Amino acid sequence: MRLVKLGDPLIYILDMAAFIGIFAILAISLNLEYGFTGLANFGKVAFFMVGAYASSIMANLGYPYLLCLIVAIIIAGIVGLLASLPALKLRADYLAIVTLAFGEILRYIIKNEEWIAKGVQGITVPSAITIAGISIRTMMLLQLTIIYAALAVCYLITQLLVNSPYGRVVRAIREDELATQVLGKDVFKYKAQIFAVGSAIAGISGSLFAQYVRLINPYMFEPIVTFTIWMMVILGGPANNLGVILGAAFVQALERGARIVKDYLLLPVDPHNLRIILIGLLIIIILMYRPQGLMKESKIKTSALEVSSKWRKKSSKQ
Amino acid sequence: MINWAQVLFNSAVTGSLYLLAAVGLTLTYGLTRFPNFAHAEFMAFGAYAGYAIAEQLKLGFQYSIFAAFLASAIMGAASYLLVFRPLTKRGATIIHLMVASIGLGFFVRHSIQEIWGGSPLTFRITWGYFDVGPIRMTSIWIIMICSALIMALIMHFILTKTMMGKAIRASANNPDLAMASGVNVEKVALVVWMIGAALAGVGGLFRAADTRLVPLIGWEILLPAFAVVILGGIGSFYGALIAAYTLGLAENLGVILLITLNLSTDYRFAIAFIILILTLIFRPQGFGKLFGEAG
Repeated sequence: MRLVKLGDPLIYILDMAAFIGIFAILAISLNLEYGFTGLANFGKVAFFMVGAYASSIMANLGYPYLLCLIVAIIIAGIVGLLASLPALKLRADYLAIVTLAFGEILRYIIKNEEWIAKGVQGITVPSAITIAGISIRTMMLLQLTIIYAALAVCYLITQLLVNSPYGRVVRAIREDELATQVLGKDVFKYKAQIFAVGSAIAGISGSLFAQYVRLINPYMFEPIVTFTIWMMVILGGPANNLGVILGAAFVQALERGARIVKDYLLLPVDPHNLRIILIGLLIIIILMYRPQGLMKESKIKTSALEVSSKWRKKSSKQ
Repeated sequence: MINWAQVLFNSAVTGSLYLLAAVGLTLTYGLTRFPNFAHAEFMAFGAYAGYAIAEQLKLGFQYSIFAAFLASAIMGAASYLLVFRPLTKRGATIIHLMVASIGLGFFVRHSIQEIWGGSPLTFRITWGYFDVGPIRMTSIWIIMICSALIMALIMHFILTKTMMGKAIRASANNPDLAMASGVNVEKVALVVWMIGAALAGVGGLFRAADTRLVPLIGWEILLPAFAVVILGGIGSFYGALIAAYTLGLAENLGVILLITLNLSTDYRFAIAFIILILTLIFRPQGFGKLFGEAG
């Protein structure tokens, strides 16, 4: 159902660009949770899925796309908040277990309860762009405009958020939860808010994904999706939004590349297995040799920092 | 009319499986201080190693138990020595370790799928049904219960009576103090990773022999295993013992409830999730502290 027509290389590239955009939004949302706040969300795919299904069900009921998108954002945010509440007061590992299990159970419910969205068969989704007689290339370009506009908005919002005083509290929680608590900050409240915002952003991505691929089923939302996003964040550089966008582009290009190679080469191994084996291996290698990722966390520019850097320059001159 | 004796017996079978699956998970979690998501793949690897011995080399099922034990022990040791110990030495955070364990899990599961294929495999050996009073049972279920109980006894003996057991408990409790007292904490961790993985491998083999063998065999019961670990208290062997049978009972009672509510019994694993959530809300330390320092 994907809008790819083999043989048109431009479409191939545009399709890859669309996926990079969709996953970059996911990577930004995980970066907000893990990179900046230190929350281990092992069920990212669940909130991506909630966004995709909420938006698609709305779209199939005939509502305009903008409304579907807003509903997807709200529902994904609320579900994220509810899923994280039992474990947010505890250590990072509890949150990881709960979110991972939550994602699996949600996928199972969608698979089994056919009245929600036709179970394993999946549901078709109308595209957000409905212009009669449009060529595939123009269609793709319009799609890319929507996806990258959304990416730009998500990027700007998270950049503003993490560089604000609010963002400094959040980073402080990541560095030392107890110390932040001692300073009088309600750590639990901040974590819950970040988790809700992160899930809502994943909902945006899910909604865009669904209307782009035009058919969604539970098999698209397996745990491996969560860990490709983790790989993008860890590879790109946690707590650096540009870095994780770069990471998303790199990982997607790798996956696409593997698919193209598969079309031209006869491999002795199943390419699907090989892809996941390589992802698993790469995650371990990155964690072992470059856990800080490609790009480092940038310093927050505050007036206090400027004054202190001037003072430092002065004192080094003397 | 519900056959309550059968429900209790089924709970014992389920509980025994969960105990075998969770013992290694809770001990490694307590000792190396992170949840090892690749534990699921220790189960799967043991089951496939057993399959290779029993079906591909056509040796008896009793040999495949040893094969599962040994293969998973080697995998546990390799995981610790090649992945988790180097990562810890490089100062990896708990989140890094968890992500690495997931990566390792994908690596192992899909390597298994590459070797043995993804379609379900079955053991030729059939387990005849027989009735004892009102209870219907099969020999594999009896083997599962007996193995879990024998394992529990041996583990109890090791933990309380041997130097190794004391070293394990000391390292889990306070690694720095244990090291200062002359305990080789790394060696202890290696032994625990081997034993834990080996028991998981045997559990995986039993589950495969009872139902069917697929690469996801461990992943399917990772959630109940985590529920057992959390309910029992992380690192607590005796807590896990009680929690495994509690969860087994809860799950079998839950199935009855699902049937009366006309819901799919596929949701039985959601019961583990509910217990996990309730534990986290009301008693995040689980049963752990009930046993003092012995756990």
